[in-house]
Amino acid sequence: MSSPTLTPADAADTAAAPSAGSSLLRKLAATPETGVVLACVLAFIVFSLEAPTYYSAVNLQVMGRDLAQFGVLAIGESFVILTGGIDLSVAGLAGLAGVLAGWFNVNEGLPAPVAILFTLLVCAAVGLWHGTMVNKLNVPPFVITLVTFTVAKGLALSITSGTPITGMSNLFGDLSLYYVGPVPIPALIFVVVAVLAWFVLERTYVGRQIYAVGGNAEAARLAGIPTKRRITATYVVSSTLAGLVGILIVGRLGVADPSVSTNGYELVAIAAAVVGGVSLFGGEGRILGIAAGAILLEFINNGLLALNVSPYYQTVAQGIVLGVAILADRIRATYFGGGRR
Amino acid sequence: MTVEPTLEKSATALDRAVIARLRGVHKTYGPVRVLDLPELDLYAGQVVGVVGENGAGKSTLMGTLAGSVRRDGGEIEIDGHALVPGSTAESGRLGVALVSQEFPLVGQLSVAENLSLGQRPADSRRRVLVDRGAQRRAAEAMLTAIGLDPATISVRRVVRELPVPARQLIEIAKGWGRDPKLLILDEPTSSLGPIEARLVLDLARRAASDGRAVLFIGHRLDEVREIADRVLVLRNGRLVADLTPEEATEDRLIREMVGDEVAHSEPKTAPTGAAPLMEISGLTADGLGPVDLTVRKGEILGIAGLMGSGRSRLIHTIAGAQPATGGSMTMSGKPYAPKNAEQGVNAGIAMIPEDRKLQSLVLFAPIRANVTVSVLRRISRRGVLGPRRIRREAVAITDNVKVRMQSVDQSVGSLSGGNQQRAIFGRAFAAEPRLLLLDEPTRGVDVGSKAQIYELIDRAAESGTAVVAASSELEELLWICHRIAVMHRGRVAAVIERADATKENIMTAAATGVAQARSETNGNPT
Repeated sequence: MSSPTLTPADAADTAAAPSAGSSLLRKLAATPETGVVLACVLAFIVFSLEAPTYYSAVNLQVMGRDLAQFGVLAIGESFVILTGGIDLSVAGLAGLAGVLAGWFNVNEGLPAPVAILFTLLVCAAVGLWHGTMVNKLNVPPFVITLVTFTVAKGLALSITSGTPITGMSNLFGDLSLYYVGPVPIPALIFVVVAVLAWFVLERTYVGRQIYAVGGNAEAARLAGIPTKRRITATYVVSSTLAGLVGILIVGRLGVADPSVSTNGYELVAIAAAVVGGVSLFGGEGRILGIAAGAILLEFINNGLLALNVSPYYQTVAQGIVLGVAILADRIRATYFGGGRR
Repeated sequence: MTVEPTLEKSATALDRAVIARLRGVHKTYGPVRVLDLPELDLYAGQVVGVVGENGAGKSTLMGTLAGSVRRDGGEIEIDGHALVPGSTAESGRLGVALVSQEFPLVGQLSVAENLSLGQRPADSRRRVLVDRGAQRRAAEAMLTAIGLDPATISVRRVVRELPVPARQLIEIAKGWGRDPKLLILDEPTSSLGPIEARLVLDLARRAASDGRAVLFIGHRLDEVREIADRVLVLRNGRLVADLTPEEATEDRLIREMVGDEVAHSEPKTAPTGAAPLMEISGLTADGLGPVDLTVRKGEILGIAGLMGSGRSRLIHTIAGAQPATGGSMTMSGKPYAPKNAEQGVNAGIAMIPEDRKLQSLVLFAPIRANVTVSVLRRISRRGVLGPRRIRREAVAITDNVKVRMQSVDQSVGSLSGGNQQRAIFGRAFAAEPRLLLLDEPTRGVDVGSKAQIYELIDRAAESGTAVVAASSELEELLWICHRIAVMHRGRVAAVIERADATKENIMTAAATGVAQARSETNGNPT
């Protein structure tokens, strides 16, 4: 990597620029998100042909609710990955957030909105902690978030002594089970979060600076970007969104049950981001792709269920999708440019 | 260009065995031919000193022999065996050992483990497991062999806990322990105190009297003159002089190193009556200072000095990218004490660091994202900004510095080195800095682009921006600067007005830390 500084990048100046008259097709081929969006469409068509129940309103609503979980986690996770970090705590933290919300609400008797607010604040503080550790003590993100993951899981169990918290305010259930028109509220939340994330990343200077930090942290620092604040912000976003997901899960179940496993959710979130074109090196990836990545994984999971495929094979399928996505991305980057490392 | 220098061979050389035979060896990085040696023989039993300015090709020559640099062409024979290009293993097998300045030691391992890295101790009694006893004995023997008392450096110590001089000595022991036919020492004394340096110099002599060939890359001319049987001078990748110790006087070496071509520039005179922008007094930082310096508005102040003299550190400390440990700075009379680069930028400083790829650009990202990094905040409205705004700004920035490209949407990595550098200048200009800091502003760009970059630097100064430019190329500094501060071991050894500056007096100050008489009066500009 550290080629001698004498070596200039003497590639032809025009190498990666699409020629003026390039076709739409070529442009699409050079866009990283094309593949995953196409795959979404394809998966939907194939499953719909195989299982007519797949595109029924009821099933679409189920998928919408699932998406709120995986999709929102994936978006939060992507913020961190964009800076070149990783957040393994999201699933554990989501589990803890659900229990915390229930505990605030039932045991402490706080009104539901206050309980939700407190829970989100706790989660945001956890993100702040991650960012501080990563920035000040240079703790690898992998390690510090793994610590949180473990502690959060244990805390969720010890707060409740293993018994679910019941009798929570209706608001929780309403959040997860109500509809606006035919659309379940969680699906709407996913859309709102995605749009907000898109706006922050694409339309604010802070967002553009996050990309710069992820692309080349040293260059960003020397250019006067407050790299540490930007990195911390991404951990706060990730943790807060994990908290939101935890609250939605509790609402869906009606109880705050620490034994309901959110195991492996963080890996699904990371997979969705990677499938959607986010580079684990940082600095690359867009919300469109991330959302599409989450949608694709949900389409496939649900589709296999609709086809009565054993759950064991679902995991295999997820792995294969991830593998294919990575391969396809490398092929695109190698043969169509786009400058991916 | 390719005038063959007349080489005077020392008489004794001819009847000795040739250890290394180089024929037509050359190496090019991008547009720059960094090494071009039609013919060079190294003989057994000789210490050959190699001197030259930064970038003269010394490191490339060593790397080519040691296999860490793949030569573009030409033949090398080591003791009669042809050397495959670009293989350190092959070079090692044929008997070339390079003691590098970079200490490729594994910090987490012990001295003993480092010394036997990749080999099994000769008297190891175990087949699979590590025989730590044998490893330690072997390591102690290797340290003793170079004249070190193993009691001073315990072979059980972990390498990263050792001070730099100790690591240098271990590195030397490692090279020595391979029983090389050709021992290459790359500025081996630069990190050593006088006692250890003496040890290393004696070692080089001993290696020669054992019948080995020694290539001694030196930065202290007195050392080279003392131990070398023959002194080679490299300039711009070519061998320009092959001298006997008697011929190799300090004056002669400096003259050969810098060349006698007259600087082809009109000496610039500093803008008259320009007010000082930045006053630096007693500034210290890790490996720097104390430094006192004044930078005036509209002036181009050059920073010269050898590798490791603190040029980059000074630039980074002024920018706030490296913390200052003492002293003070003022900008336009106001105290300026940046805690980080962000505060430097906010105070109106723009820095263009040395390494484009590592320190300036996100290579895979589009030009538009790269050039607008410095102005994102300013061009946003309450933090919000659209893609059209970014594009418009990017087009304006790149037009301003005439970046040759298809569109601002292509990746910045697809531009040539010169165009990348211009884009970075554009980005710096866009921030409208009061002080522009440059570190090796034309590294890795071709000759044509250099001239264009010099124009950009002039333009910045003419608009009233103060420019501080650190460079290892003396021609460059003579070409662009109004004044030149010469650094030596972290301090400013001399400040020379352009009218008084010559390659010789800059080089002398850089090498010895002592300014020549006529420039001394300028050492403290008031």
